[in-house]
Amino acid sequence: MRSDILVNAVFWSLLTVGLYALGKALYHRKPTWWTSPLLLAPVLLIAAAVACHQSYREYIRGTHWLVVLLAPVTVAFAVPIYEQRLLIRKHWLLLVAGAAAGSATAMFSSWALATVFGLDGGLRLSLLPRSLSTPFAMTVSGDIGGVPTLTAVFVVITGVFGAVIGELLLGVLPFRSALARGALLGMGAHGAGTAKAHQIDGEVGAVAGLVMVMVGVMNVLAAPSVAKLLQWVG
Amino acid sequence: MHLHRHSISLRRLCRTSIVFQLLLISGFWVAGEAIVRVTGLPVPGAIVGMLIVLALLSTGKLSLHTVQRGARWFLAEMLLFFVPAVLAVLDHPEFLGMLGLKILAVIVFSTVMVMVVTAAVIDVCYRWDVARKGVGHAE
Repeated sequence: MRSDILVNAVFWSLLTVGLYALGKALYHRKPTWWTSPLLLAPVLLIAAAVACHQSYREYIRGTHWLVVLLAPVTVAFAVPIYEQRLLIRKHWLLLVAGAAAGSATAMFSSWALATVFGLDGGLRLSLLPRSLSTPFAMTVSGDIGGVPTLTAVFVVITGVFGAVIGELLLGVLPFRSALARGALLGMGAHGAGTAKAHQIDGEVGAVAGLVMVMVGVMNVLAAPSVAKLLQWVG
Repeated sequence: MHLHRHSISLRRLCRTSIVFQLLLISGFWVAGEAIVRVTGLPVPGAIVGMLIVLALLSTGKLSLHTVQRGARWFLAEMLLFFVPAVLAVLDHPEFLGMLGLKILAVIVFSTVMVMVVTAAVIDVCYRWDVARKGVGHAE
């Protein structure tokens, strides 16, 4: 039984890393939105999991160590932020303004759109903090009366689609400064957007990473006030 | 004397070995986690770890070469660590259908709005700032 669990963990870990590597190689050859490693690898994995009757609980038990590595990735953001310290020190107020505007838009548009589509209660509240990176989003979700585990799923969906949407938007919108481009990806698609930003350019990546962290902290601090506002709205 | 020689060889090890850099960065995460556990700060431990590294780099206590390659590796492979979380949708069969499409519509439209507003605000402020400073220089 124990060896079963081990075999299972090794198999799904290898498959996850393998499909990611395959996706990355394919993206390198043909960089379009559907070959993005964050879209192709999960789709193939879900297909494999469904084919093998693998539940999420069993899958994540073997591959949780990969998710844990997101924590040192967050620590690693210190390096690009430090490297771009001159740009950031010069324009930090702009980034705060963009992050505040983006956060307000995220909360308000999610709430309004959810209402339009007839989603309400805990589901609607769980959608509000989905632009933040996972640990922040789950904290805010709990504070405002959402379901943190549901928010975690929405965060991932936002990352997968946000990275793709962000790249498409950057292609058609006239934003040229690294500040605007980085903030677009870091605010709109948290870590996945930041990874995309680092593929574009080191400067854009540093801005995206900083904005992602800034937005997370700002939202956690604002969450109690947002909760009061939501109670008042009903 | 002996200790000094050890610290120099450790530093050399960090500069040459990416594995040691990865371990060092992970060590800062563990330190951040411990600080959060002790103080009860409402911030994830990894963020505290990041702030520690940023503070050490800024004060010159930590050299950029000691963590740069490890950090680049983590950032380059970041998407891999997101992949397992996507499979959480397996636990929500109710999302496969009309409800899922509605949620997806909310997320996609809202994300477009968030991105456009964020970038537009920064772009407009940036141009305004440049124009204002430009005038200042001319005077």
